[in-house]
Amino acid sequence: MRRSRWIGAGFLASALILTSCTSGPAGADVEQDSKATLQLWTRTTPGGPGEKGTLALAAAFEKATGHKVEVTAIFDDFETKLQQRAAQRDLPDIVMNDVTQLGAMHEQGLLREIDLDKIKHSKQLIAQGLGSGKSLDGKQFGLPYSAQATALLIRKDWREKLRLDTPRNWDDFTAMAEAFTTEDPDGDGKKNTFGLAAPLSTKRGYASWYFSNFLWAAGGDFITEAGDGTYEPAMTTEKSVKAVQWFRDLGCEDKAIQPGAVTMDTPPTNETFESGRTGMFAVGPYLLPRFDEVLGKDKYEVVPMPKGPKDATVLAEGGTIYLMAGSENQAGQDAFADFAVSAEGQRTGMRGETGFTVQLPVNKTVDISEVRPDPRWKTYAEVYRSSGRYAPSIPNWSAVRQTTAETVNALMADCDLDTRGELRDLDKKLADILEEQGIAAS
Amino acid sequence: MSLDQVKRAPLPERRAHRAAGRGADGADGAAAGHRRRDRRAGRWWTPWLFLAPALLLFLYFKFIPMANALTMSFQEVQPYLGNRWVGTENYATVLGSDGFRDAAWHTVVLAAGQTAGSMLLGLALALLMEGQGRRLGFVRSAAFLPVVVPIAVVAELWRIMYHPTEDGMVNSLLGLVGFGPSGFINDPDSSLVSIMVTGIWRGAPYDMMIFLAGLASVDRGLYEAAKVDGASRFQRVRHVTVPGLRSVFSILFILAAIRGLRVFTEVFLLTNGGPDGSTEVVMTLIYKLGLEQNRLGVGAAGAVLLFLMTLILTIAVHLVRRRESK
Repeated sequence: MRRSRWIGAGFLASALILTSCTSGPAGADVEQDSKATLQLWTRTTPGGPGEKGTLALAAAFEKATGHKVEVTAIFDDFETKLQQRAAQRDLPDIVMNDVTQLGAMHEQGLLREIDLDKIKHSKQLIAQGLGSGKSLDGKQFGLPYSAQATALLIRKDWREKLRLDTPRNWDDFTAMAEAFTTEDPDGDGKKNTFGLAAPLSTKRGYASWYFSNFLWAAGGDFITEAGDGTYEPAMTTEKSVKAVQWFRDLGCEDKAIQPGAVTMDTPPTNETFESGRTGMFAVGPYLLPRFDEVLGKDKYEVVPMPKGPKDATVLAEGGTIYLMAGSENQAGQDAFADFAVSAEGQRTGMRGETGFTVQLPVNKTVDISEVRPDPRWKTYAEVYRSSGRYAPSIPNWSAVRQTTAETVNALMADCDLDTRGELRDLDKKLADILEEQGIAAS
Repeated sequence: MSLDQVKRAPLPERRAHRAAGRGADGADGAAAGHRRRDRRAGRWWTPWLFLAPALLLFLYFKFIPMANALTMSFQEVQPYLGNRWVGTENYATVLGSDGFRDAAWHTVVLAAGQTAGSMLLGLALALLMEGQGRRLGFVRSAAFLPVVVPIAVVAELWRIMYHPTEDGMVNSLLGLVGFGPSGFINDPDSSLVSIMVTGIWRGAPYDMMIFLAGLASVDRGLYEAAKVDGASRFQRVRHVTVPGLRSVFSILFILAAIRGLRVFTEVFLLTNGGPDGSTEVVMTLIYKLGLEQNRLGVGAAGAVLLFLMTLILTIAVHLVRRRESK
């Protein structure tokens, strides 16, 4: 009996020793093999059109360069699975994911710095896209392969029935949202329509992500640069407070946002638009194929977001290629990044009605109208170039987005809360986050 | 005489030989006896050998990750830069976070409500469905369905049922009895209770099945005796059924309470801790801190704290049970 206890203790001790053995830094000098198959992870639904588009891009790359690529599509909990692989020190060679993940992945040492001299097509990249792949210290850790920006989708048949013009400013926008909510635009005699579709759940920071379009158009900000790479909280500035109040009134006073928005992430919100429950939706171009199929191309239109108190700034986002640390085929990584941003790679990525990986091209030499004659895509491309704004590449933007999402969610869920008080609390939290990340302005 | 008895009885010759051996050389005899015991019980490592596959799996998939999490809770986790020891900073971050106390309270409220609700509803269902009737099997299977339905489907189902307008499924029922539409999961005042109801709906049939198994062991004679003594139906349940199910209650309590403390999926899918943090529980907070904000060390510290909470609860229940049984 005593012996068996010792054996049990031995097992546990071995576990602890094994555990502690695995916590040293990973060797940066991995033996290189330029023939090794590249593992590529992309954040898209397995079996869906996004995966098919990535497979087509990988096939074109293989044909052009001879490097082999193995594509893995993951949508749910992508970052969690990546963390698991990081813990095992077995990262994929290439990751195609949101640009906002740059700071967090860079801080954890998951990324390899990109040498732009080895990416000859990087000179053709749109400046703001290239800039989005830089870390706070100005080093290149990501390369954009696709861009997107927010535009406004409107139920055209509803708008025409109510004889309204497309909104040009926030007053028009509010008026249209109210009309869609109260004037029975679908004509079924029931009060079952709402002005705006909005995913305001805290999941992945959706509430903050969506609200940023309105916050920036008002001249407000979540955090603002204070020089020398430092930041300070900015949610209590007059412009930010006014933006929050205006957006809150849409939900609390006008009841123009779909019911249940505060617990909805994107899939149920998309459904409200395509099922004729909501009449406006501020969203990127990636949903056009879906809405064309479910709702019908003729039922809705795409227009630039109406101008806010300051301008029409909207959230620009995009897909970024990350070259992961610990790869045994760095030459292959560089070759893939170069191919993906080249005109040929961009055109390959844009092909198809649904299965495309490139939303808007990031290569200046590619004209979207040549590949996609649909004028709605041209609208998106113009919005991206004229009004798109990326989230700053701070070490961990996710923490800022998550925290601001919680406050926006709270203010939209509970109309009795004091706006200024909540925003003051939010600024304190943001100050702590900036302090923790070592970028707080003193 | 059974065959076993024949085998166990030593032969007279062998018995005589054994006695002679002991007389001639005691030490030799003791060694021989030890060998025989060894042969009978096998080598000391034989049971370990049989257990080894399971132990190795446990070691690799349970204990090493657990030890890993414990180590990570004292580190800033950066797998490719090298983890950095930060002492108890992660614990201070979790315990000092505004949301942790609220999340811990919500977790306890949800665990208590779901445990009590599931047990009460489970017992009521078990009492209704106890018996040998041929159709009862079908009814029991139908009642058990919520347990086998995937939680993602359950969450989507309840999201539809909880639609916060007048034409929502539950709201239209409320409208029939004159109550206004409720926000359910979308209203900070009713969201926690709404999730609790979903948990009870899912957990009660599981408890029902265990109660049904427990009810089968209650002596029927006691019911008849109580009936002869003039006990009402309620009194029979109170004084015969409930005491007869005491051990079932305590097992269910431990299972349900642990399940309640670890509640995650339904909250994550229905509200993700919102609206206004009203349904934030410890597990969703850990998920957000660790995986959405990529602060794995902080998340690990939260997980260790939750593990300790669960351990303390389990030990407390065991101690109470032991005292009761004495």
